[in-house]
Amino acid sequence: MTGRRDFLKVTGALGAGLVLGLRLDGKALPGETAKVEFKPNAFLALRPDGRVRITVPKVEMGQGVRTALPLVVAEELDLDWSKIEVVNAMPGPDFKAMGTGGSTSVSTTWMTLRKAGAAAREMLKAAAAAQWNTSVSQCRTEKGFVLSPGGKKLSYGDLAEAAAKQPIPANPPLKKSSDFRLLGKRTPRFDGTDIVTGKAIFGLDVRRPGQRFAAVLRCPVPGGKPKAWDGAKAQAVRGVKAVVEVPTGLAVIAESTWAAFKGREALATTTTWDEGAAKDFSSAGLETKMRAALTGPADEARKVGDAEKILAAAARLLEAEYSFPYQAHATVEPMNTTVLLSKDGAELWTGSQSANRAQDRAAAALGLKPEQVQLHVPLIGGGFGRRLGTDFSTEAAQVAKAAGGGPIQVVWDREDDFRHDLFHPATLHRMRAGLDATGGISAWIHRIAGPSILRSWMGGQKSATQAASEANGALDLPYAIPAITVDFAEVEAPTPLGWWRGIEIVPNVFARECFLDEVAHASGIDPLQLRLKLLGDQGVVKFGRDEADIQRLKKVLQVAAEKAGWGRKLSAGRGLGLACHAYDGRSYAAQVAEVSMEKGQLRIHKITCAVDCGLVVNPLGLEAQVEGGIAFGLSALFSQITWEKGRTVQTGYHDFPVLRLADMPAIETHIVVGSESPSGMGEPPVPLAIPAVLNAVFAATGKRIRKVPLEGARV
Amino acid sequence: MAVFTLSVNGQSHKIEAAPEMPLLWALRERIGLTGTKFGCGQGQCGACTVLLGGTAVRSCMTRLSDLRGRSITTIEGLDPHGAHPLQKAWLEADVSQCGYCQTGQIMTAAALLAGNPKPSDADIDQAMGRNVCRCGTYLRIREAIHLAAGKGVTS
Repeated sequence: MTGRRDFLKVTGALGAGLVLGLRLDGKALPGETAKVEFKPNAFLALRPDGRVRITVPKVEMGQGVRTALPLVVAEELDLDWSKIEVVNAMPGPDFKAMGTGGSTSVSTTWMTLRKAGAAAREMLKAAAAAQWNTSVSQCRTEKGFVLSPGGKKLSYGDLAEAAAKQPIPANPPLKKSSDFRLLGKRTPRFDGTDIVTGKAIFGLDVRRPGQRFAAVLRCPVPGGKPKAWDGAKAQAVRGVKAVVEVPTGLAVIAESTWAAFKGREALATTTTWDEGAAKDFSSAGLETKMRAALTGPADEARKVGDAEKILAAAARLLEAEYSFPYQAHATVEPMNTTVLLSKDGAELWTGSQSANRAQDRAAAALGLKPEQVQLHVPLIGGGFGRRLGTDFSTEAAQVAKAAGGGPIQVVWDREDDFRHDLFHPATLHRMRAGLDATGGISAWIHRIAGPSILRSWMGGQKSATQAASEANGALDLPYAIPAITVDFAEVEAPTPLGWWRGIEIVPNVFARECFLDEVAHASGIDPLQLRLKLLGDQGVVKFGRDEADIQRLKKVLQVAAEKAGWGRKLSAGRGLGLACHAYDGRSYAAQVAEVSMEKGQLRIHKITCAVDCGLVVNPLGLEAQVEGGIAFGLSALFSQITWEKGRTVQTGYHDFPVLRLADMPAIETHIVVGSESPSGMGEPPVPLAIPAVLNAVFAATGKRIRKVPLEGARV
Repeated sequence: MAVFTLSVNGQSHKIEAAPEMPLLWALRERIGLTGTKFGCGQGQCGACTVLLGGTAVRSCMTRLSDLRGRSITTIEGLDPHGAHPLQKAWLEADVSQCGYCQTGQIMTAAALLAGNPKPSDADIDQAMGRNVCRCGTYLRIREAIHLAAGKGVTS
């Protein structure tokens, strides 16, 4: 078993077969007996009519992979962007690595996709050269054509058949970045038109002939089971076909979603529950345990020097407690999966971020081999890590099995989504810093107490990397401090947990960057100057498994501060705050927030963000990720999931507020390119929004806020 | 059970259903128009927004018995090829991320512009305030509405 990052890394490696074992399986298209499709590899099919189909090996959930990854192929192959079709991969021998998360989609597929495009390009050139009786090196490519020095040109479509017969280059030459024509340009989202016309197909829009719909009545306490129930009332609802028991509860099968929901309401009135081990769980109880764990034993995540000893001898000690609550994903498209069983297999349509795992688990639930399960991934109406979990797709397979085959679409409603999320857990943070006689920081201790996401992901087992995983964002403190201790004290909770956009980095960087701000003010040093000093002239620093180039972080911090006008005079009640972080040692980001307090109301005017994720595939998409990441982070400043009697208090957007248009600050994004290879930008902006804003609140008001959510002060 | 005649995007549909059935499910599962989305079923997110006689309504909270013959416009009725000024503006501003909420956003914006052809930022913030976009495309939504403003949007 592996953690999220190992999972994504393993599933991120695309499998050696794809590029080295390029396949030639030219197939005649209907009505085109003489002409064949040129399929140099699993990602590409060039059709005789000049259209090119690109298969995307990661799933689209709004982060833009159906635009960015085809751009990488199209760049190397010199395609005409207007003649591209994009299809989603299906898990199987060609696509063993569809896991999508951790801001890794571009970085893990980039080289494979470039080689895939380059190999096809060389084969097309070779085919043209043979036809013209010239050398390959004399040929070049442009927008779907091979061109000869003498001005002759042949379209890729016309060359497809001959290209398929060319030998496959093992190491095709790749373009120089200075020759890029598509990468680095602002390219609008591939699916834009389908989305704005309502034609885009998300999981809930899947329709199969004879399809039925199902809603599952689950115990409001996670892990609870039905004790007694009577399906008669549900069956009496018009359109309800059956009530069946599944491992997660009771499924109401109906002709329509509406009937399934109505039937489920009726069923609920007849059902009693064995609420199970979690029935007494409460947020208040958890907080008491977490506070006790702030001073008890813990697992070490990072240790430099003897911070406790130095702290004990420090000229001055600073200490503070930070608090972050449970959070929900609240994707706008609720969980759903459509399943069709046949006599020798099954077909699933599910918006999964873990398509291969979803396939494996559905197969196991159905008593099938994975290769007997065909799994389609439609567009995903928001992922944010929620759909890395396979609970909803496995459950749907179980419902289809119990209902006798399908096709059946299992639909969650909003309350299901809140009650049975795979939550981001609460944490408390005990922050301590020792200052020496000159005001310098001599020791830094960050204790994190809370439930472990990794344990939940590992099916309840404690992993050797648990402390490092839960301390992500805290252990990779980029500042040069002589003595550092970062540790994690686990407090077990009986709630399902999962990965949430920004993961543990969100609470950990919130505590870290706000507490550093406290240290700056306590020592009378400007927060920017303190950070620049502590980043210093460090080069590449290793943190556990990651390495971060501290100078790249320093650069984005300087850019964000300069563009935001750090240090300028502000009117009373206004303030600037900043935060920075090197995400997994790969992507660098800094944010400056400008806020004001007017009559006790917080207003976030603007966030200036500087980012460096290396080479930029699509700046338009990158800016969208920065804006969306900041919105997601800011939203968490006002929301929380709380527990009473084993159930979530919150059941919808009415009591779990998410950011709305009027709450949105202006956002200015500055791109720094610090490397020739790309990393990612889905998560890196998220963890900085809260500390930047709360540090700005302190600058504006002198009030230090150490607890999320912010209560009573709406934007 | 009752029989309702729904006028959707200029076409008439006869539906036999319970009077309390929400319009959302009639559109999605009876008429087959899946551009109108199910987001919360609680009237809180706006993903299911359609125009009812020119007014933006939550189709998840609108019962078939509430329709009283008024005409319904869904995203499919705006322009199937994306030629409506709002759809064009949405593309120009590259608003969408996951895209799930955007059809509801566009329908809400259509009602806004029909009544207020040149809205201010504050007008937009207020009119769009009940629509959730969890991807955080809000700034581009505002930009797109300004782009479309004054280009003859009528419902």
